[in-house]
Amino acid sequence: MLVGQLLNGIVTGAMYALVAIGFSLVIGTLDKLNFAHSEVFMVGGFVAVLTANYMPWHLALLVIFLVGGLLGLATEFIAFRRFQTNEGKITAALASMALGLIITDLVHKGWGAEPVRLTTQSQWLQTGHSIFGATVLNLQIVILAVAFLLMAMLHLLLQKSRMGRQIRALAESSVSASLLGINVRRVTQTVFFVSSALAAVGGLLVALRGGAASSDIGLTFGLKSLAIMAIGGMGDLRGALVGGLLIGVLEALMFQLGLGRLVEMTAWVALIAVLIFRPHGLFGGGIHAQEQRA
Amino acid sequence: MIADHLFFAGINVLLAWSVYVVLMTGSLSFAQGMFMAVGCYTAGVLTVNFGWSLVPATLMASAFASVVAAVVGWPALRLRGVYLILVTIGITFCGRVLLENFKYVGGVAGFGGMQGATHVTVLVAVALVGAALLLLSRSPLQRTFDAVREDDRVAASLGINVPVVRMIGFASGAFIAATAGSLFGHYMSFVRPESFDILLSVYVVLYVVLGGVNNMWGALIGATVMTLLPEYFRVLAEWRPTVFGLAILLMLLFRPQGLLSFRTLSSRWKVDQRLANLADKP
Repeated sequence: MLVGQLLNGIVTGAMYALVAIGFSLVIGTLDKLNFAHSEVFMVGGFVAVLTANYMPWHLALLVIFLVGGLLGLATEFIAFRRFQTNEGKITAALASMALGLIITDLVHKGWGAEPVRLTTQSQWLQTGHSIFGATVLNLQIVILAVAFLLMAMLHLLLQKSRMGRQIRALAESSVSASLLGINVRRVTQTVFFVSSALAAVGGLLVALRGGAASSDIGLTFGLKSLAIMAIGGMGDLRGALVGGLLIGVLEALMFQLGLGRLVEMTAWVALIAVLIFRPHGLFGGGIHAQEQRA
Repeated sequence: MIADHLFFAGINVLLAWSVYVVLMTGSLSFAQGMFMAVGCYTAGVLTVNFGWSLVPATLMASAFASVVAAVVGWPALRLRGVYLILVTIGITFCGRVLLENFKYVGGVAGFGGMQGATHVTVLVAVALVGAALLLLSRSPLQRTFDAVREDDRVAASLGINVPVVRMIGFASGAFIAATAGSLFGHYMSFVRPESFDILLSVYVVLYVVLGGVNNMWGALIGATVMTLLPEYFRVLAEWRPTVFGLAILLMLLFRPQGLLSFRTLSSRWKVDQRLANLADKP
């Protein structure tokens, strides 16, 4: 039972990490907070509902990755491109929040406010294996595999590719990056594309696991991932991963202890505790950490 | 009907002002909905269970909410921008979960029995808070606030205790929000934890953004217009979030100086604009 709960926690944590890494990528390279991110995450689940009837889930994964990425490009164009100045940081965050409101409202108009059932044709996902006395569903393995594969690919992109070098240069300083001949707009778009695509895939995974796409997870699960990003350290991808797994497992353990709905508070209480004892987050210490200090 | 509209407009104006006060010190708060809930429940318990009358109960509840705000906000007020936003979102979520599990005030089922507030009470409160804000805008405290908002490092070098000033702003914001909450509860006479969810706090912040953050009138106008318009135009009520979001986006686009620019004098503004243009040239 305990092993089962732990596994559940790790699966949830991997999904948290996937969304938190998107937040972290944008805040780390561009120093901007993208509130529309959590709504793109929510939309991922609904695109899954749309595509579920036409294709198997692994093709849907690809479609959702692209749709999420395109939404990310749209977010960049609508809410961020015009607010480049230092003072515009909060403005851009508010603009993305307004965009998030619009996205949520359009989803409400399309599917209603209630969760929409997501039926997969595949029986294979629901078959389980027994390991250490706990049942492991194929679904859980798929979620873990997809999440970790995407994170590994992101790591490779950032550390080994030309674009990754440009992203890291932009994170250091956008002015020097543009002086070195880096196309800042192109790199910014790439960052938004990748982060939103990861979020949308996260939305698919959450919908697959819950068996339904729900329009309020953007404000619950999505914002919790934002807290997890801060717990791990802003702009630090390892931090987002470790923070996500930590909160996922903690939540599962607290649920096991019978705390019921109080479990919802875990991420936020952890955030406040981290801010008291380690204000830059678990892995904080990057360049932006210095600036965040008052 | 009209009384209802006046009442909700008044409540939203109070909430918008509570965001504005926090914003004066350069922080953005998404916890005003929860401070409203604290005010509502505390005042409700005082009037229903202890037989206090409305005014002392409201003042007591507001004072309590500002103490809560000071204590909870302290770890984040030492830090900048994004962290405070996150903590305020966290306060909203945690507060709701705590209220839902707090049997003494009814839990999920809600808490009822408060009465005594009318639209007149709310208008009086709006007038009082407005007068206080006007007084504040002519006091030295306002200049301290301005210094902290415009550049906290310079403010610190001038001997201003930046975290404390921010805490004063945050606690006063909570005070006003709690007053609004108490009146809201005593008008509706029944509230549930879900009346105070995160969307309420988001909307209130966006009222202020829409109205303009330069002065207290922006918050007043933004909140009034956004409360009353949907009441008179059905289409707006139906598409409220979309229309509202579009309005915000357009407003932000046509105020390229950005939200946190507080310069009101037009001549100053032109010079700044020219400087900004120069700085933006690659």
